[in-house]
Amino acid sequence: MTEAVIVVALLLVGACATAAVAVRDPVRQSLVLAVLGVVLAVLFTVLQAPDVGLSQLAVGSALTPLLLLLTVRKVRRRAQRAPDGPAGRRGREGGP
Amino acid sequence: MNGWILAAAVVLAAGLGATLRGVVTGPLRRRAAAQNLSTALACPALLLLAQGYARPAYVDLALVLAVLGPVGTLVFARLLADELADDPPHARTATFTAAALGAAVVVAVSVATGPGRALVKLLVIGALLVGGNLVASRALAGGMQEGRRD
Amino acid sequence: MQGRRTLLAVAEVAAWWVPLAALWLVLVSTVDPLEAAVGAGASSVVALVARGARRAVTGR
Repeated sequence: MTEAVIVVALLLVGACATAAVAVRDPVRQSLVLAVLGVVLAVLFTVLQAPDVGLSQLAVGSALTPLLLLLTVRKVRRRAQRAPDGPAGRRGREGGP
Repeated sequence: MNGWILAAAVVLAAGLGATLRGVVTGPLRRRAAAQNLSTALACPALLLLAQGYARPAYVDLALVLAVLGPVGTLVFARLLADELADDPPHARTATFTAAALGAAVVVAVSVATGPGRALVKLLVIGALLVGGNLVASRALAGGMQEGRRD
Repeated sequence: MQGRRTLLAVAEVAAWWVPLAALWLVLVSTVDPLEAAVGAGASSVVALVARGARRAVTGR
């Protein structure tokens, strides 16, 4: 049973990390990264490393998405101010 | 080995698997709602794991997640307010299902713990979990509109 | 007037301190005198911060 829950957590981490790479838009990527932080904390707990899980939770669930979203917002403001620059051609939705 | 870890594995596989699918596909509002639900479902799983491993110290992880999960959702609700304003996420059924699951897990673990200081700690975690997620999903559904400045 | 305001401030900090110290005692793993002392100190710091935050939010 202990191995089963480890396998479940590993599969979740693998799927979530693959999705975080595959999603192209940074805003949606930050949402996937927040979930990845939570899933990684669960994996660390299952592997009997709750101290690592605690720091992963503290950083991954709120701090990483906050930094990413603030960066995206700043880049967009700059792109709106200079709409003929190379960054201005990207649409609001982003991605190809 | 024991039922607690089996229950945690089921919650992780079904609940977090479903939220992972929700956060990867679909429009932005569905992804934001799924991110909120992922913290609401991981916290009961951590409580079940702490009970299953018979390590009361592992409950601290659930406490930290119950505090920081709604904070992360509020970050998204504040910074994505423009994108979510036209089409706010209303995942009422899923939110109440997750809240009911959290409350049921807290009650089950509390019954297994018995009276004492650990019981009070579990009840504090349960109140933070249910209340925090209801507040976070309400903010996601449009409660941050008046705080918008731009 | 001044004494009355000071009394109100002390009462508010004490009203923050009691639940904060109780929360500390609930969340620590073992209750012993050292933990109680550290909890009392931390609760008083956080009680002062909480009063400052409450005054900043309500604007008084």
